[in-house]
Amino acid sequence: MFFNSFQFAFFLPIVLLLYWTAGSNSKANQNYILILASYYFYSCWDYRFLFLLIFSTLLSYFSAIKIESSTTTWARKFWLWLCVTVNIGFLGIFKYYNFFATSFSELLNSVGLHSSPLLLKIILPVGISFYTFHGLSYSIDIYFKRIKAERNIIDYSLFVSYFPLLVAGPIERATHLLPQLKVHRKFDYEKAKEGICQIIWGLVKKVVIADTCSMYANAVFDHYNSMNSLSLILGSIYFAFQIYGDFSGYSDIALGTSKLFGIDLLKNFDFPYFSRDIAEFWRKWHISLSSWFRDYVYIPLGGSKGSKLFQIRNVFVIFLLSGFWHGANWTFIVWGFINALYFIPLLIVNKNRNNIADFKISFNFTSLKIVVNIVATFAITCFAWIFFRAKTIHDALAYIKRMVTDLHFTPQYFNFERYSYELLFMLLLFVMVEWNNRYKIEPLSGKYSWIKVIMSIMAILALGVFTDYKNFIYFQF
Amino acid sequence: MKKFLLFVSKILLVMLLSAIVLDAIYTAVYLKSSKRNKIEYVFNSHRKNFDVVFLGSSRTQNHMMAKLFIDKGITAYNFGMSGSKLDETALLLKLMLERKYKIKNIILDVDVNLNSNAHSDGVTAMYMPYLQASTTIQNHYKTIPEYNKLRYIPFYRYLANDAKIGFREVFFSFAGKKSNALENFGYFPLKGVGKNMSYDLSDYSPKRNFAYEEIKTICKKNNIHLIAISTPMCSACDSNAYFNSIKAVYPEVYNYENKVTDDKYFSSCGHMNVEGATLFTTIVVNDFIQNKFKN
Repeated sequence: MFFNSFQFAFFLPIVLLLYWTAGSNSKANQNYILILASYYFYSCWDYRFLFLLIFSTLLSYFSAIKIESSTTTWARKFWLWLCVTVNIGFLGIFKYYNFFATSFSELLNSVGLHSSPLLLKIILPVGISFYTFHGLSYSIDIYFKRIKAERNIIDYSLFVSYFPLLVAGPIERATHLLPQLKVHRKFDYEKAKEGICQIIWGLVKKVVIADTCSMYANAVFDHYNSMNSLSLILGSIYFAFQIYGDFSGYSDIALGTSKLFGIDLLKNFDFPYFSRDIAEFWRKWHISLSSWFRDYVYIPLGGSKGSKLFQIRNVFVIFLLSGFWHGANWTFIVWGFINALYFIPLLIVNKNRNNIADFKISFNFTSLKIVVNIVATFAITCFAWIFFRAKTIHDALAYIKRMVTDLHFTPQYFNFERYSYELLFMLLLFVMVEWNNRYKIEPLSGKYSWIKVIMSIMAILALGVFTDYKNFIYFQF
Repeated sequence: MKKFLLFVSKILLVMLLSAIVLDAIYTAVYLKSSKRNKIEYVFNSHRKNFDVVFLGSSRTQNHMMAKLFIDKGITAYNFGMSGSKLDETALLLKLMLERKYKIKNIILDVDVNLNSNAHSDGVTAMYMPYLQASTTIQNHYKTIPEYNKLRYIPFYRYLANDAKIGFREVFFSFAGKKSNALENFGYFPLKGVGKNMSYDLSDYSPKRNFAYEEIKTICKKNNIHLIAISTPMCSACDSNAYFNSIKAVYPEVYNYENKVTDDKYFSSCGHMNVEGATLFTTIVVNDFIQNKFKN
């Protein structure tokens, strides 16, 4: 069941109706309804993986209680490592086993030792990278005594399995979400209205921007051998907008849906393409994952303390891990590596926290410098996306080689009967809307709200892509 | 809560009204357009007379040069449509008759389309703007599973077929931008010689085809001389078994498969280039003039 499906359009109103009628008298009833809805939602993909989700939930639930109640350091460590190892083990088996087996076999073959890897015929359970990270952060927080272990199993299960964030995040923290699940939610009209607007804007991003861009990006990336420099440059830009529209659109729908239940989720995107350097980009892109790695990997490794060499090592570790989290493919690891290379010069000259404050644009030199920095940051981000999108490293390198050597800049006509440049006008319009609303959660509320809502609905109907249906990209992670 | 329900009701109302308005706009544009494809050309025309009409898929569209017939004083038009199966071809013929066309002969390329009773989603999509306006189209699609949604939910037919009849196409139709589908009397020339051409017909076997049977019935009823043919494939295609077995199912089909054999006449294995089409159409036009197609 996808957020942009007819099935979800029936599912959500039914759950809302039950939640605010039958469940409205107590927090317990509200949570019962949400947990049942969440398990139903998840089982719509594959009911067999529901057992995995429940097992992962129970593991971190009981481990946390054991960590808290243990009196010796050894016992506390044992329960923490049990939880971490089993959760990572799930990821390892379902997501990374075949990758490691194939890579190891290739390594042996390269030194003359012939081997054929024993591969598992398994599919990746939807959302496994997200809900295992929920469990991990929770048990680590308990270990470091940041929070108390949750004793109510329904409340805890809901924290792990809450359907708006179950399959593609945001990766929530127990400190943020659990307190909201512990209280009885009262209906808040303004919050619910904001939620509806956010859902509509999320749909615009998904079906109008991302899915349209994906048609063009696929046409370029799948046939890069016959593309010229202009098409290849545009292909990487289209993919940049595809992945942004897809993932931030999904996040908007998730956050908006959750607001209808009176629950706030963590913000996942903060207009990352308006960043002035790569450090700012990473503070604004997939915020819940970046902050997860910061809090649970980077800082425990020493973070920005110690020598520069030590800091550089830490930066490489989190970027490589972040790349690897996205999928078992060298392309993602190289993508993480390239982002680390972008980041390290800023770290060396102590400028990685330069662009934190908001900025305004006017007609002066400072503003020009800001615009140039934004464009440059976007350009290097697009370059890194080539590795993220390409099927193999070889494809990515061949794509880049052709892009810089072909040097033909005439618009090409694609097989699907579109010219390579055709989408630019719509993207320009989208950028202008985002720019003008960059200090808001979504652009639809506020002045002339109804006009903006009507225009968005018209855009979804008239400009949306419905026949060439695209799943949310981050569902595969 | 009441306030919220009112807000949601308004959103739903906006969605419904938007769908109705967009449906009306799109349909109005398509009802006036006749420059973009052969379906709208037929739909927006009336009482045309032809000695010969060519029907079929891209193998008709790219092979039959109507101009060579016209040069001999025979009024002709190529209504072949890329991707079309015999089901959509039958509907186009019905639409022509609904528009009071007078047709003496139909040359129909049936060959590879006899392999199945499949239909083409892409060509079906191009009929959808006229679903409300034409009883012929309604009757033709009455049995498909999505019929009620397509017919009665405003704008659904445009959403479900946005790649073919969505915003971009309606914009071009509104702007009056011509497509090349209607140039050269409907014939679409292909250029160049194909490389590494192949076409695997080993899994193909001709079957009785409901749409072809329907075309035969319509022609008989309207006194139209139907000439069913098969057209050439490149040399790499081992097609003899398939084309010979067509004869077993439909003996009336004229086999032209081996009339053009040299690969220099092919743009791809199933499609001849301009030179091939010229050679092939010359053969057909001569046979037509010499009255080789018996009634």
